[in-house]
Amino acid sequence: MSLQEIIGIVFIFIGVFFSAIGTLGVIRLPDVYTRLHASGKVSTLGLVGLLAGTAVLMPQTTIKMLVLALFMVITAPVASHAIASAAYHLGIKPKAQRDDLAHRRGTPTPVVNGE
Amino acid sequence: MSDAANLALQFALYVMILLMLPAAYRVFRGINHAERLQGIDLITTLLIGIIVLLALVLNSSFVVDIGIALAAFSFVGTVAIARYLSEGRVF
Repeated sequence: MSLQEIIGIVFIFIGVFFSAIGTLGVIRLPDVYTRLHASGKVSTLGLVGLLAGTAVLMPQTTIKMLVLALFMVITAPVASHAIASAAYHLGIKPKAQRDDLAHRRGTPTPVVNGE
Repeated sequence: MSDAANLALQFALYVMILLMLPAAYRVFRGINHAERLQGIDLITTLLIGIIVLLALVLNSSFVVDIGIALAAFSFVGTVAIARYLSEGRVF
């Protein structure tokens, strides 16, 4: 195993590790909004680790890896934001205490311990 | 690539494939549309990772283009469905 392979394998396992943690988060977290944090980890950290490992292991694909990594890092938050706003429009109340968008909808903001 | 590296790559590939099961569980058990849409988004992201790993295992740099195409399509699809859910129309 040459040094290049070892570095590539380490990057790939970092990516797989974050994907596993993100997927575990998607399973265990209570509602859509917190789960979006977890799925964001998968699509940015998980994939960027995998792509970095692939770029190290196969140097001829480095440009494609950069394109794919840049594309994923830009579009993943936009997709998560779209899902979150869709969930809010569907009327899913976040389990967290604060509802910062409530004033726009006219619903009373739940006053929690005098906030 | 040496055998040990190939073995490690295949192990990483199997782990990513196994990770798709909980994501599929989230799609089936989703209470409302947003949770199911988020499960689909997660599945496609994992699929992109699997395609990139396949490109490594098969040692062909052409397979990565499939991953780039899937990334583009999955993003457009997710945003279109999310917009349809929130506003009832896409365009």
